[in-house]
Amino acid sequence: MIYGDRNTKVLVTGATGKQGEFHIGLMNTYARNVGGKGVVAGVTPGKGGQQVHGVPVYNTIKDALDDHDATTSVLFVPAGAAGDSIMEAANAGLELVVAITEHIPVHDAMKAIAFAWMQGCSVIGPNCPGLLSPGEVKMGIMPAQLFSRGNVGIISRSGTLTYEVVDELTRAGIGQSTVVGIGGDPVIGQTFIDVLQRFEKDTQTKVVVLIGEVGGNLEEEGANYSDLPLVAYIAGKSAPPDKRMGHAGAIVEGGEGDARSKIARLKKIGVPVAERPSDIPDLVRGLFKGC
Amino acid sequence: MKLLEHEAKKILKENGIPVPVGFFIRSADELLSHLDELGNSIVLKAQVDVGSRGKAGGIVMADKRNAIAKARELFGKKIKGLPVREILAEQRLEIQHEYYVSITVDRSSKQPLILFTDGGGVDIEITAKEHPDAIRKAGVIPLMRDIPPFMVRELIGTAPKEIGPVINKLYHIFCAKDAVLAEINPLATTPQGVFAADAKIIIDDNALNRQGIKVNRDLSEREREAEKNGFSYVELDGSIGVIGNGAGLTMATLDLIEFYGGKAANFLDVGGGAESGRVKDAVRLVASVPSVKVIVVNLLGGITRCDEVARGIIDAEIPQKVIVRLAGTNEVEGRRLLSDKGYEMLDTMDLVVKKAVEVAT
Repeated sequence: MIYGDRNTKVLVTGATGKQGEFHIGLMNTYARNVGGKGVVAGVTPGKGGQQVHGVPVYNTIKDALDDHDATTSVLFVPAGAAGDSIMEAANAGLELVVAITEHIPVHDAMKAIAFAWMQGCSVIGPNCPGLLSPGEVKMGIMPAQLFSRGNVGIISRSGTLTYEVVDELTRAGIGQSTVVGIGGDPVIGQTFIDVLQRFEKDTQTKVVVLIGEVGGNLEEEGANYSDLPLVAYIAGKSAPPDKRMGHAGAIVEGGEGDARSKIARLKKIGVPVAERPSDIPDLVRGLFKGC
Repeated sequence: MKLLEHEAKKILKENGIPVPVGFFIRSADELLSHLDELGNSIVLKAQVDVGSRGKAGGIVMADKRNAIAKARELFGKKIKGLPVREILAEQRLEIQHEYYVSITVDRSSKQPLILFTDGGGVDIEITAKEHPDAIRKAGVIPLMRDIPPFMVRELIGTAPKEIGPVINKLYHIFCAKDAVLAEINPLATTPQGVFAADAKIIIDDNALNRQGIKVNRDLSEREREAEKNGFSYVELDGSIGVIGNGAGLTMATLDLIEFYGGKAANFLDVGGGAESGRVKDAVRLVASVPSVKVIVVNLLGGITRCDEVARGIIDAEIPQKVIVRLAGTNEVEGRRLLSDKGYEMLDTMDLVVKKAVEVAT
């Protein structure tokens, strides 16, 4: 496990909104099924004293921490207030913030991530589906029924494409250790490097799948760093330059970050790159044989 | 969203960065009242959003006598296909030397990155490839109000000291305006001091609202309509319409189309949790592009329910063939609804894409 296990106590900020409420329910169903602690408190300014699916809601994170020793917050706060919520979590001493919210202005993300870093708090996202360690903990919005426990770690900039790959792996009888959606924005907290560093120390994880896309060069940076056996898939080979492909960060700018050059660089450092998502299970199986 | 030169220069001027004396005009006649202030040496710059505008004929040198005639001529032109509707008429600078300065968002270091190079008017992407050592870089911790003076000194080296404050002011603009790019190219030294001879600012699309920008001009009309509905939509030039949920999955579907030898006409990500009404709008929007012969729907339901998607597809009642892959939440019900109406459904994204390519070609 990386980032948390069944004993991790989670706060949800933006708990009383539609998304927050819905996913507190799903996260706690998951926690019940695996015998985990799950979401112990919610936070929404001005809504203190309410309950969501039996979970008490507080006005501030500090108030919630007076009653609960949570270490992580999963954030569903609207975009305009999300940067502030990341900083509130870091300032209150939480170790990890999982920022699900999409459309956070990039300047807010830069400031909040810098602030969190100074407080020793890791940020996953923004604009991400969170993470799931099958049989242990779900922090975010990933559809748990597709997952199975095993030895493959996944790091991805995408949501549904990650589910597609998880589904392919599970059908092929290959389980996952932890699946982390790091987010589709140009500026994100934990990048491929950070998550790979955690996987290196995780005895359960034997092979890691990197699911990247056009924009930036974080995939290559990560792959270059790691000694773990890796498989990669890069989405956006057919993406035209200077067009944002759904994610704020999925854009080929100034001739940089296009899929083909990313794939070439990954192959150059010896990482097998899947042509199609459906090719990933075979490539993973190939690496397991080598272990 | 990209700002036009005259908009970017207005922001620079308001923030104390000198720009040439200039006037924004919508017709050649408007120039008449400004001729005295512009002096004898004039440059007319078409306000069109295209790269290499100068080479494409969008920048014209003039003098007091022929300026109006030349402006009239420029208003009649198209620059890389775009009609010239607005011109920035400026006093021509007596340029002694040119520099380049820009501030961008650096993904790796997660902070603003300043680039400076001696020699302006250059294509920085080419310089970066051919003479990477000529570009000086500095990252600023995003919680700082100013660029520390030592960093400015390191950036500009032996260039005139008066450039330092310009870079710091540009950083203020970058932060205050939610910019993802603020660039002065060239930054010109003249006997009268330092001037921003050309400027480019791009505002973060996620901050347009709080910057008071109502309409994102960078999007086509269909793209704007899609955005209003909460879709991500991109127009391409093939014949297969693509609808998916989630940007990554939709992009992977496009790539698979290319893999099987087809070409996508567009890309629509309905986002998470779409209900039947939104799916109907999405299908109609994709089908409204004349070149679309067939539509692939590739949905992996998590918070999106397959039965809602199925209803949306049926309600859209479009003439083109729709080939569907549905998996996940309420999959059985979704499939039953579609098969009752005779829609073609396949189990994997490989299969739907292969089939669509066959139909389209």
